[in-house]
Amino acid sequence: MSSHNVIEVQGVSTTLGGKSIHRDLDLSVARGEVIALIGGSGTGKSVLLREIIGLLRPQAGHIRLFGHSVWDSTPEQMNLLRRRFGVLFQDGALFSSLSVEDNVATPLFEHTELPHPLCRQLARLKLALAGLPADVSAKRPSELSGGMRKRVALARALVLDPELLFLDEPTSGLDPISARAFDKLIRLLADSLGLTVFLVTHDLDTLFSIIDRVIVLSNGRVLGSGSVAELKQIDDPWLNDYFAARAPNGETVHGN
Amino acid sequence: MTTAAAHFDAAQDALIASGAWHVDAAAALPRLSGHSVRVLDGAAITQLDTNGAWLLLNAVRPRASDPLPELRGFQPQHLSLLNLVAQHAAVTAAAVEAQQPGVLEATGLGAMALWRNFSGLVNFIGQLSIELALLIGRPDNWRWRELGAQVNAVFVGAIPIVIGMMFLLGVVFAYLLGDQAQQYGASIFVVDGLLMAILREISPVIVAVLIAGRSGAAITAQIGTMKVNEEIDAITTLGLSPLAVLVIPRMIALLIGLPLLVFIGDIAGILGGMLVAHLQLDISPHLFLERTSSVLELKTLLVGILKGPVFAVFIALIACRMGLSVSRDARSVGANTTSTVVQSLVAIIVLNAIFAVMFVQLDI
Repeated sequence: MSSHNVIEVQGVSTTLGGKSIHRDLDLSVARGEVIALIGGSGTGKSVLLREIIGLLRPQAGHIRLFGHSVWDSTPEQMNLLRRRFGVLFQDGALFSSLSVEDNVATPLFEHTELPHPLCRQLARLKLALAGLPADVSAKRPSELSGGMRKRVALARALVLDPELLFLDEPTSGLDPISARAFDKLIRLLADSLGLTVFLVTHDLDTLFSIIDRVIVLSNGRVLGSGSVAELKQIDDPWLNDYFAARAPNGETVHGN
Repeated sequence: MTTAAAHFDAAQDALIASGAWHVDAAAALPRLSGHSVRVLDGAAITQLDTNGAWLLLNAVRPRASDPLPELRGFQPQHLSLLNLVAQHAAVTAAAVEAQQPGVLEATGLGAMALWRNFSGLVNFIGQLSIELALLIGRPDNWRWRELGAQVNAVFVGAIPIVIGMMFLLGVVFAYLLGDQAQQYGASIFVVDGLLMAILREISPVIVAVLIAGRSGAAITAQIGTMKVNEEIDAITTLGLSPLAVLVIPRMIALLIGLPLLVFIGDIAGILGGMLVAHLQLDISPHLFLERTSSVLELKTLLVGILKGPVFAVFIALIACRMGLSVSRDARSVGANTTSTVVQSLVAIIVLNAIFAVMFVQLDI
């Protein structure tokens, strides 16, 4: 069974600046799932994401991606692992001194031996898949709107055709229309490319529209995991407030 | 995982692909050299992703406007992926590489950039003068705390390096001068030469160069990063002037700091020379100081120190303007910081040459 799990987190404990963030935390994500990680501010969602992608070392515990340990790999093994997942950072983290096209092509420049014009062609394909018009490819990131920058960042995360995609608050800072369009795009790509998606979000609409399973972090542990309907059965003050935030038009939700 | 392979079957005009088609499979594509492919056979493909799909499509259909060949034997999910990629393939046509400008064009572009830079500087001086005029008579609006912090950064922080550098330059200069003067039995004139050189030329220029590299670069990088983070816009929106809040305190701090540093450099250089005079030329510190008091004129000291404020104004103008003209990307912070140092050094050397000619003409 465990071989089907793309992400496995076992017994992870984290202390940052003397404050305990995670205590003996376990979670796993199976291949093909679209998973959302939610939790109140300061519950360590982004910290957990950074630990899973190998940017921050937890004090204790094991993290495995595709069955390979993230923190016990040699740098070469880790680089091979990095080719298999893509990350969309919260503010896009585009390289401001490169054109949009070169931003997307950078992973290809670094990880493959393809000639650069070919890399740029593949980058333009990914920009088109991310729903961007052809004329953005020569622009600088600073000339684009926030929603377009997110799409460029998504194209960059997808350019090596990863099996696993990490998204840190993909819809934050977008207007509701762009946010829903971005949600649909993620679901479309996940279905057509067979991706596993792990996203950290605050956006209730994202949860209700495209997510297979939600994982709730609270007090340094996983409070619960399951569909939105299952999570509503859990009696937790934060979770109750969280779902109540959508109460005014909650009827459509109950109807589902 | 099977590696990707592909061969061209001339009998059926078919490209037959097999294995795992990823981005690294590009090398497996055979040369089709003009053959048109009518069938793409993917029955033996085990894995296919968008990059692999694009590589196959691009090989069998070099122009996106051409009709798609017959797709044969693909698994359903591979087929839907191929169709998805084919829909978007039109935008990936090879772009025409931008031409590099020729010598004449590059010269023209360079001259225009130089002109824009100069007219921008004049414009900046104008705005700054208006801002200064508005601030005079309103001491409440002065940023005293910021001024204090800048004086600390520009002046106090630079004292150790100025002392170290000028002391060593005094040592080197006195040593070389003493070596020559000793041959003519004119050792005592080393004191005259040293005082003249250190006070009038070396200390002002070296200290200004040091401050241009140290504080000028820091000012540009700091203001430039604030610009990138929209902090300058925030200052403007709060009804404050970036010139009054950021530029004027830095300029005044440099105006205060640079002459003081030149004076500190003077003393350090003379001490270095005094040490060498004592060890190499047997001129005791007592004799050195006696000679100093009889040959040193006040104007030699003042000429050197008064160069300081002039250099300071130019360093501050250049550094602040380059900081404020950063565009919103990381590279331009670096480019403008470099430009600040280069422009400041050129300005210091040119100004010093003008001073030298002027002082001779005026008999100072």
